[in-house]
Amino acid sequence: MSSPTQALLGIHIRPDVGGRPLFEGYDPGTFYDEFVGPDGTPRPESAAMHDILAAMPLDVFEERRQLADLSYLVQGITFTVYSDGRGTERLFPFDLVPRIIPRNEWDVIEKGLAQRVMALNFYLQDIYGKQRILKDKVIPRQLVQSCKHFRREMMGLNVPRDIYVHICGTDLVRDSRTGEYLVLEDNARSPSGISYVLENRLVMRRTFARAFEVSEVMPVDHYPNELGKILRSLSPRSGDRPVVVLLTPGLYNSAYFEHCFLAQEMGIELVEGRDLVVVDDVVYMKTIHGLTRVDVIYRRVDDDFLDPLAFRADSLVGVPGLMNAYRAGNIALANAVGTGVADDKAIYAFVPDFIRYYLREEPILKNVDTYLCSRPDHLSYVLDHLSELVVKAVGESGGYGMLMGPSADKKTIEDFRARLKADPRNYIAQPVIPLSRCPSFDPATGMMSPRHIDLRPYCLYDGEKVTIVPGGLTRVALQKGSLVVNSSQGGGSKDTWVLRGNEEGIEA
Amino acid sequence: MMLSRIADSLFWIGRYMERADNTARILDVNYHMLLEQPPDTYKLRWDPLIAITGERTRFYQRFDEANAHTAFDYLGYSEDNPNSIAQCIILARENARTIRDRISRELWEDINGLYHKINKLRDEGEGLSRFCDAVKRGGHRFHGVCDATLARDEGWHFLLAGCALERAEMTARILDVHYHQLVEGPEILNEARSHAWVAVLKSVAAYEFYKRQHSHIEPNHVAQLLLLDPRHPRSVRFNLGVLQNSLHAISGSVPGSYANEAERLTGRAHESLTYDSIDEIFTGGLHDYLEEMQATCRTIGAHISQTYLYYAVS
Repeated sequence: MSSPTQALLGIHIRPDVGGRPLFEGYDPGTFYDEFVGPDGTPRPESAAMHDILAAMPLDVFEERRQLADLSYLVQGITFTVYSDGRGTERLFPFDLVPRIIPRNEWDVIEKGLAQRVMALNFYLQDIYGKQRILKDKVIPRQLVQSCKHFRREMMGLNVPRDIYVHICGTDLVRDSRTGEYLVLEDNARSPSGISYVLENRLVMRRTFARAFEVSEVMPVDHYPNELGKILRSLSPRSGDRPVVVLLTPGLYNSAYFEHCFLAQEMGIELVEGRDLVVVDDVVYMKTIHGLTRVDVIYRRVDDDFLDPLAFRADSLVGVPGLMNAYRAGNIALANAVGTGVADDKAIYAFVPDFIRYYLREEPILKNVDTYLCSRPDHLSYVLDHLSELVVKAVGESGGYGMLMGPSADKKTIEDFRARLKADPRNYIAQPVIPLSRCPSFDPATGMMSPRHIDLRPYCLYDGEKVTIVPGGLTRVALQKGSLVVNSSQGGGSKDTWVLRGNEEGIEA
Repeated sequence: MMLSRIADSLFWIGRYMERADNTARILDVNYHMLLEQPPDTYKLRWDPLIAITGERTRFYQRFDEANAHTAFDYLGYSEDNPNSIAQCIILARENARTIRDRISRELWEDINGLYHKINKLRDEGEGLSRFCDAVKRGGHRFHGVCDATLARDEGWHFLLAGCALERAEMTARILDVHYHQLVEGPEILNEARSHAWVAVLKSVAAYEFYKRQHSHIEPNHVAQLLLLDPRHPRSVRFNLGVLQNSLHAISGSVPGSYANEAERLTGRAHESLTYDSIDEIFTGGLHDYLEEMQATCRTIGAHISQTYLYYAVS
């Protein structure tokens, strides 16, 4: 028996898999397992889902898994990989075992992230304003001003409602040794992935409806609405309904699906650079009946490509004159230009100090220990311990420009050694964190196997408070033993459930 | 409010889907007709098909002769042919993908599904018949999904305008090429002439409609139907009527007037198709008439583009 869509794309169930229990022989091993405790019994928050999965024959699970994949394919939820020079579309693999977070843990994460996003905003306002933090020598002036993403053009420019980072995606990991969540990095430019959070939930609700009946999972689908509210509040024109648009680099951007998705969900126009034109410092879009004024741009184009007159002149996806309109106060941009000076991997090491300096609070979430190669003492330590450390280029993201010391060969290590010596400011190093794991289905063996995961919650800041949809994107390193979760490096994703539970939280 | 770029994409989704559908139709009908014809006329009968798609030069750079295999290869899947069915579907899908936030989810999933379907047929080495069938069904479903799920806004009219303009031009070209071949072509084709006209009628789904009105297959009756009949959804007149209606809906100008050059030319061509008789057209020369009609269609397309899609901003 097959449905029309199954028939259309030819789903076949492997005949040999039969009814073997999914968790047969599952071994959580020595890492912290998010789903089962060290003795192999499910954690309380995962028990309901564990029972459903454990009772499900493999062939039934396999069929649901293929249907889930099919729904991504039919909708064209794919990302583009450029390794072969041509750009091919791939599915971002989705694993059906959810990552489940109990409410008391989530409350800590939520408070910690809110604190962090507030501090980042105060920091940016300060850096592009009075620079008190530099005068007070909390962070070296040289380190800030040498950031690749520090934008002189932003000095003294008044951004609407003093908000720089409206949307922040902060990557968290759980350290297996302590069970604590740590902040791995902040993404304060244009974090992507929220569309997967929403679509994964949609697919999970369809695939495991019964699990939602028995587990009280907190909803996530109000995200576009919350973001839309913030964007509209930024309009420099008062009165009538502001015109908000989402600026995308276009079809060939790896996050294009997400741009469409968010524009549609928020009911705003999805535009490309060529749709916009600046006349007398005012931004317009070209419609079939002439020009229409634009008030707010949710831009998913990097600073470098935003305005060929101000930044890279070879940009074909930008809007000439946009920075002039921004400076004249005629357009709001989210996120603001220049926020890369907050999520630079070297600046990251100072974020706990920002929290102490601006909020006079102790950081709730800790950083991972970080060696700044710009400091001679740190550099010499790093050079002596390259095979034990993770080395990252400060301005890169997506898992590019990275050295995984313990798994790298000698040649790669020597290559990085030379790069570090040549340009120490461009690198940081961190100890390898033994990331927690979560059961994931391995199609090759037809079994559940523990795989390393991280978590990226999406924070929205409206100038007063931080809103975070419960959960976020759980990324999973699908290769056995791998610690790299990026989609460009063979990662997949999972639905993330925060259970309603007891609101009082930690010690209730 | 409609962005020019989005209107452009809708217009071209209409054109590409229609082009894929028409190409599949002529390919399929020709193939089936020839299964019962003497093999020595094959070459003479496949060549016009290549001509209809306007791809003669490029085709003969690649192949020595036109037959069922080379025609299917080139018109069906070829990446070298920008107008092959597969390329049209790829381009329709790309356009749909850039505006998927503006069309219904059903429409996007339908076009995306068709794309995956023809890829699958290619990978499985499926033959001409099932391939064309899938594309034709895809075309019908496309119109059905559009009709049932799209809002009747300006975007709808750009999509409709794209379909109508493409279909008008395609029908004119099918008629032109076959008429030339069958009436003025080599003697050898004579005995199968009425088979060929039946094939032409079937390729535009007009055979049953024709038979209800005429007992014999006569070239001038076929031309009359394909050009001038206001009732058949593939006739040139019908489609220029649809186009005129959509252009008026976009500009807001009242019937009998025009707001731009595209509307003026569409109106004039539609008038001519309404009031010219088929005998007058034959007297003046059918081929010239059809050539001019195709040229007008191209000019209308260029004016739609200049007026709404790629205008200059001072």
